[in-house]
Amino acid sequence: MLKTLLTLGLIGLLAAALLSGVHLATRERIADEQQRQALATLNQLVPESEYDNELVTDRFSAWIAGLETPSTLYRARRDGEPVALLADVTTPNGYSGDIRLLIGIAPNGDVIGVRVLDHRETPGLGDEIEVQRSDWIRQFSGRSLGDPPADQWAADQRGGQFDTLSSATITSSAVIEAVRSVLAWYANNRDNAFEIESEVNSE
Amino acid sequence: MNDSAREIWRQGLWDNNPGLVQLLGLCPLLAVTGTAINGLGLGLATLFVLVLSNLAVSLTRGLVQPEIRIPVFVLIIATLVTVVDLVMQAWFSGLSRTLGIFIPLIVTNCTILGRAEAFASRRSVGEALIDGLAQGAGFAAVLIALGAGREIVGHGTLMADAHLLLGEWARSLELVVLPEQVGLLLAVLPPGAFIGLGLLIALKNRIANIRAERTRSVSGPSPQAA
Repeated sequence: MLKTLLTLGLIGLLAAALLSGVHLATRERIADEQQRQALATLNQLVPESEYDNELVTDRFSAWIAGLETPSTLYRARRDGEPVALLADVTTPNGYSGDIRLLIGIAPNGDVIGVRVLDHRETPGLGDEIEVQRSDWIRQFSGRSLGDPPADQWAADQRGGQFDTLSSATITSSAVIEAVRSVLAWYANNRDNAFEIESEVNSE
Repeated sequence: MNDSAREIWRQGLWDNNPGLVQLLGLCPLLAVTGTAINGLGLGLATLFVLVLSNLAVSLTRGLVQPEIRIPVFVLIIATLVTVVDLVMQAWFSGLSRTLGIFIPLIVTNCTILGRAEAFASRRSVGEALIDGLAQGAGFAAVLIALGAGREIVGHGTLMADAHLLLGEWARSLELVVLPEQVGLLLAVLPPGAFIGLGLLIALKNRIANIRAERTRSVSGPSPQAA
């Protein structure tokens, strides 16, 4: 009995030692990799040459109506002047669950662009929201809350002004609605969006 | 190669293939095989875990009392899978994100526990090593075949996203087999995985039957099989 306990304990200890070793050896690299990934994502909308601050750490959380909470907002600045607000948001209204989007807004409230970060929409139909698959997602660039007017911010299948992906009205509407929600949030928080203190202490 | 080693290879790759005959590890098998590269990635990860767990189990077979062998196997496998998961996150982060939760889920792949219990815990280290390689290769081969088939039919490409696993040079490995926009959606969706696996099993059985028939007609004056 005692011998059995000892064997099990010893093997458990060995396993724990091995795991700690591997964890220590990979920890830094995994953190770097995640940072690099986050930055590569943000640079899809705002190229590196257009800002000079630490984009990944200049961020804060916000509660935006209609979206999964909290959303993370990143700020790009150049010489201290606002360049862009990048919202990493998740809408629960996709056809098969969450759609995670990156929405870029210029300081004047125009949409810089929208990219899909993660989704589980139907391959061949709903996945046309990916920029690699179709230009659909590009139609938001340059739009703002007044263009089209608020009641026209919807899929054309539902009486709005935006193209609808064929056979993917729910997917299309979820994305359009998410962009509108972020723009509405920005319209209400325009004055302090670039003033809110960053949540990450510069390391 | 001696007879026993050859027999172990034959078991793993064909006669007792984990994917086509034992039908073990079906959850990852069906779920990640949307593309050939996903299949290859999970196949290599599973092969690696299987070889190491067979080795560890065979090495400790004299020391571990029968009553605690299952918890010990589980502990060994879970540790190895966590190591693979961390290493993939650090060095193959792109692929790690594509394969997602299926790397940690290798823990639940019955092939690995099955081989530990049925083979590695009773055989020498050398045989356990060969068995791990053979069963792992057999499983990986099914993953790749199913992934390649679904990718060709569903997307019209082969080896897309190879750079996630093999580095930037591998971008050029992508082949466009069928012109764009002719992909059959069904192949990429979950039902495609079941249908594809069914076809692979049928093909394997057909080949095995033909070979058995041939041996029979060569080896003796047996009457035609029914």
